[in-house]
Amino acid sequence: MTARASLFDAGKLKIDETPPTLAQDLFSALRLGLIGILVMLAAAFFFSGVVGPLFALGNVEETVMDVLTRLALLALPFVAYIAAASVARRYTAADTGRALGLAFTTTIILFAAISAGHYAFSYGAFAPRPSLQMTLSQTEAGIRVESIVPGGAADIAEMQVGDVITAIRRDKVDLAAFNKRVGQSEEDAPLRLRFIRGAEEMQETVRVVVQSDKQLNAIIPGLAIALVFTAIIVFLPGHWAPYIALIGLLSPLIVGYFWVIVATFSYRTEGLVPLDSNDNFGGFTLKNWESIFAGNIAGLEFNIWPILMTSLAIALVMTFVVLLVSSMAGYALSRMHFPGRRFFLSFTLILHGFPAITLLIPIFFVLLRLGELPVIGELIGFNSIGGIALVMVAFQLPLGVWLMKGFFDNIPWDMERSALIDGASRFRTYWEILLPQIRPGLLALGIFAFIGGWNAYIIPATYSIGSGVSNLPVFLNELIDETAPVDWNQVAAVGLFQLIPIFIFFIFAQEYLLNIYAGGTKGSS
Amino acid sequence: MEIRIDNLTKKFGDVVGVEDLTLHIDDGEFVAFLGPSGCGKTTTLLTLAGIYKPTDGLIRFGERVVNTVQPKDRNIGMVFQSYALYPHMTIFQNIAYPLKLKKTPKNVQNERVRQVANVMGIGELLDRRPGQLSGGQQQRVALGRALVKEPDVLLFDEPLSNLDARLRLTMRGEIKHLQKNLGITSIYVTHDQLEAMTMADRIAVMNRGRLQAFDAPDELYDRPKTLFVAGFVGNPPMNFLNVSVSQSNGHFLAEAETIQLPLGADRGEPPARHGGAVVMGIRPEDIQIAADGDVTGEIFVVEPLGREDLIDARVGEHSFILLADTEKQHRAGESVSLKFDMTQAQFFDPQTERSLLWHH
Repeated sequence: MTARASLFDAGKLKIDETPPTLAQDLFSALRLGLIGILVMLAAAFFFSGVVGPLFALGNVEETVMDVLTRLALLALPFVAYIAAASVARRYTAADTGRALGLAFTTTIILFAAISAGHYAFSYGAFAPRPSLQMTLSQTEAGIRVESIVPGGAADIAEMQVGDVITAIRRDKVDLAAFNKRVGQSEEDAPLRLRFIRGAEEMQETVRVVVQSDKQLNAIIPGLAIALVFTAIIVFLPGHWAPYIALIGLLSPLIVGYFWVIVATFSYRTEGLVPLDSNDNFGGFTLKNWESIFAGNIAGLEFNIWPILMTSLAIALVMTFVVLLVSSMAGYALSRMHFPGRRFFLSFTLILHGFPAITLLIPIFFVLLRLGELPVIGELIGFNSIGGIALVMVAFQLPLGVWLMKGFFDNIPWDMERSALIDGASRFRTYWEILLPQIRPGLLALGIFAFIGGWNAYIIPATYSIGSGVSNLPVFLNELIDETAPVDWNQVAAVGLFQLIPIFIFFIFAQEYLLNIYAGGTKGSS
Repeated sequence: MEIRIDNLTKKFGDVVGVEDLTLHIDDGEFVAFLGPSGCGKTTTLLTLAGIYKPTDGLIRFGERVVNTVQPKDRNIGMVFQSYALYPHMTIFQNIAYPLKLKKTPKNVQNERVRQVANVMGIGELLDRRPGQLSGGQQQRVALGRALVKEPDVLLFDEPLSNLDARLRLTMRGEIKHLQKNLGITSIYVTHDQLEAMTMADRIAVMNRGRLQAFDAPDELYDRPKTLFVAGFVGNPPMNFLNVSVSQSNGHFLAEAETIQLPLGADRGEPPARHGGAVVMGIRPEDIQIAADGDVTGEIFVVEPLGREDLIDARVGEHSFILLADTEKQHRAGESVSLKFDMTQAQFFDPQTERSLLWHH
């Protein structure tokens, strides 16, 4: 730049103002990475060294702090890489080479530092593992012993180089299965190995040793993961971050639903992988679904349709009555003055907070007595769908009334006065003018009520003891209770079957739930 | 439709909304209820609409006592400040709603709604929803909905308060024109005295639930019967001064400390007869800055209003608001001589706050 900077140079000068040198960038990236490491170490110490002992003082046996500590240590390197890569991300668009170079350099340095820490404390890649202290290779005949650590477990058991291992006890194994078996063993567990030495078949019992190899090549996978992770961070578009965080947090749910769906269509599953009878991937089947409709699961005879209808009846009656009563009561509480209004309001609030489960037994007696009434008893007494729905409605009403009152409170008085002056009766005003305006609220409450009724377990289970009345959740429990061994894939199928109406309900309700009215009155937006 | 309100009282628990209100409104008359917030004007309106039931007193529409008649049976139309359109209905359905409730045949409904919409200039908007309209358009829809059933009485509850100043001016003219054309008895609640003065045949001034005055706009302005009316009507407001009025040799003199103002007999005689301290009121336009003024003062603040300057002049402890020509270019701190047009002066009893000049 010359001293004679023109107007146009001035802008450039501003942008280029003291660009950080590579060394400065490297330094700030490393500093951030180090802060990340320290923060996570502090978190780990906080869980294990501060909160953990406090729990222990109170004689509370609990493992959460332990898990949190391990989680913090597991996340430590990644937090460090993210912190360091945030510096490199500034250059991703303008100078990709610089960004990657910077990020990889810092990652390698941080990785070295973290690995040194792991080495010192026998952690991570250097953590102690169950081992037989010999190296092996897969051959056609079996697993060949390539070398033996002198004085190690295998040496003590008098294994020799050149032995070909074929089985542990009577289970034939290949190298993968062998390593898996050893990896799952505890310290000092005896493993009886069958092997061929020369032409002779022999057996030796080797005792598992848990120790750290501290072999440097153990860190190579870690380094690969670190570099790939860094590259992803450098190139990840910033606006994806919230979604990734969300997916991460939701993953337990997603995995759960994925398992339910996979399980219903397979004979058996190992984790999330469906397996056939030979432990290979596959084994898909519709039998779980067929037996729901055939009405026979592991010898338990049933007819799914009345059960479905019971569920539906409880849910629909509940939705209808809750909406009707809540909206009317909410209207009255919002718009009318009558003696006891304040008492009623506060009392409903208390009822809402009251644990309904404590009333289970008293209500049982109430329903028994109701059942003795002529005609009405058949409808709302003990062992009737009406009785169950009545109790469920009663428990749902406090919430519903308050919710509806809130929605009515938000409608301006003028709207109602206007309708009255236009010539509408009070009921017509409520029905034609006010209800359409609180449709989102009605829908939300309706969904609450429907799902509550559909998934109800405790109340239907209690108030239909020993009768034919049972809804899907109660049936699901019977299925687990009365079949042995429990076929979980079958249970998953019934569970998913129960979910179908809820799915449908939400697909149609979504649009209404998201629909927020544009106001026709000033100031109500 | 003639409306007669006799001794109307409306209480909400112990809170008095309106007290002992008596008001007779002629057929086809346009009456404004004017007063500050919380003076009971909207309460009165809603009682007339039948939303509130009177605690005491009588309301008659024509010969019929309507105290307990439901709103829907009163055949009234009402326009609200918030418009109160129904957001889930189209403009057509909004305007047609009163007809639908009357079970008017569909084809008649259709015709009437289109007719009203065209008069209101919203004929092309019938398929829209209220949320898609501007404030002015929404107000026209509200007015259309009130008119469509051909009501005997039209009630307006501060209908123009939410509109911008320019639109307010246009709508003011339109409403007045429409009311005169249709000849529907109308009651218009407002706290804006300009609206009341320009639109109404008669204005009912209310304060704290009581009727202060009920008169034509000019009467209220020239012959205010109470101190409140004098102070509330007129903008900028009337100047008030505690004076004592004395008579000597047929000449009347209003005095307050250093200020001495000679009076004519028609204005001076009643306060002099009352004796002692009285409140004198004089409007800003009745004070002039002139060379041969009655008192000398100093200009405290000058507020340019465009057409004229609003001047706050101080004479000793007393402050006078007056209007002056902008061309004179008065400045704060300037010493001026003030001339009072005492033929326009008002006098009030400080205890009863009633006018000493105009009796009831």
